[in-house]
Amino acid sequence: MRLWRLRRANGDTTAGAHTTVQRGQPPKQVLRPVSPVFIWATLAAGLALDLTPWGRTPLVPDFLALGLVFWNVHQPRRVGMGAAFVFGLLMDVHNGALFGEHALAYTLLCYGAIALHRRILWLPVLSQSLYVLPLLLVAQLASAAVRLWVGGGSGHWWVGLIESVVGALLWPLVTWILLAPQRRPISRDETRPL
Amino acid sequence: MEYGPPPLFNQGVSARARLAFFSFLAVLLIVIDAQVNALDTIRVGVSVMLYPLQRALLWPRDALEQAGRYVTTVSSLTRDNERLRQSGLEHATLLLQDAQLRLENAHLRQLQGLRERTSAKTQIVQVLYEPRDHFTRKLVIDHGSADGVRAGNPVIDELGVVGQVTRVFPMVSEVTVLTERDQSIPVEVVRNGLRCIAFGGSEPGTLVLRFLAANADVISGDMVVTSGLDGLYPAGLPVGTIARVERDVKDQFARVVVNPAGGVDANGMLVVLQVTAAPLPAPPREDGHGEHPARRSTHR
Repeated sequence: MRLWRLRRANGDTTAGAHTTVQRGQPPKQVLRPVSPVFIWATLAAGLALDLTPWGRTPLVPDFLALGLVFWNVHQPRRVGMGAAFVFGLLMDVHNGALFGEHALAYTLLCYGAIALHRRILWLPVLSQSLYVLPLLLVAQLASAAVRLWVGGGSGHWWVGLIESVVGALLWPLVTWILLAPQRRPISRDETRPL
Repeated sequence: MEYGPPPLFNQGVSARARLAFFSFLAVLLIVIDAQVNALDTIRVGVSVMLYPLQRALLWPRDALEQAGRYVTTVSSLTRDNERLRQSGLEHATLLLQDAQLRLENAHLRQLQGLRERTSAKTQIVQVLYEPRDHFTRKLVIDHGSADGVRAGNPVIDELGVVGQVTRVFPMVSEVTVLTERDQSIPVEVVRNGLRCIAFGGSEPGTLVLRFLAANADVISGDMVVTSGLDGLYPAGLPVGTIARVERDVKDQFARVVVNPAGGVDANGMLVVLQVTAAPLPAPPREDGHGEHPARRSTHR
């Protein structure tokens, strides 16, 4: 993966004709390796944001879900479905939902992110949002289906789907923030390019 | 001889296998949790673990609110003061009469040999947060089983019944509000003593009185209070007022929509009535499902 990016960054077009179709993107910067501490810190921050009492407004996205999608797209081998499952159980207890409801949603989310990560990374950040939106929606609809199946549904539950739209709109910002540590220059030496 | 893939390409268990495993586990948990209460110990354990974090995260909101309260103007304070003094004066006469009526009532009851209405132990609690769940309306309060709160306890505010404690953790408990679909409460109409059961309405934020005959004597504006027949909710607590009555010729029941009296706002103060559900006399005829509706909802 990293090797491929390197090649793209250097403008090497020998990798095949299809890699040259880049829709006018600026060449990508070579990213530094991610630190595992940063991954888990951001996921913990997402959990903390989800535990914050926002009230019942549907305009606040599920930050933890966004973080899980992000790391599963960018580092599919670091954060697994097991972690997503455990985070889901924590959210279930916090929200007083059925045990396993969020766990199922986050597991599906992770699988979707892992399955699509090569395709998503190919696109510019704004188009990536269009792939993230259905991922978040599917996760939300999965827990909705569980609720309707068990028979606890009432009222205008579909209003909550706005959460996913807000989450997808925040995707560029999330990408910018979470990739920032990897975008740092390797050395502070000004004379050295890159 | 079989060759496995070289370690360079070995990515461990495939994503699809992991998906199958974890989804199966999640569905298993959901089914177990929906059918039996076997997972409550795990839930309590996780809740105790999460509690410090939850409390810590309430702090920014509370600090903001305190700051907001600090800058409330003097005029609003004087207005509040004026209003409170007025309501105090209004209530003073009622209170004086109340003491007298209570005495008189006790005397009459003694004369009649009726059992005295026991007043439940009350506990003032604070709403910590509302879970972000678009399906059910719940509140999380800051008292739990360590403080004597039990599942099934009624929760009221100064205006009327708010709901019922449905799940208890050591430090916090979950309150399901009355307007939830699965909640039910035995009520009576104040004007004529007509008894019925109020269920959470299909429209959000309302209650409905089910199984009332199409010609039942209810009109919009009637006050509805608890009847106390279930031995759980004390009698006479305001539940709501009837908003409208739809009498359809086709239907044998009237459709009665009730607006709840108790308000629900985040970070408000509520009162938990720690009633010990008096064992009801056994119904004369057992048909397997003799459980009372108001209490059945506590097991969910």
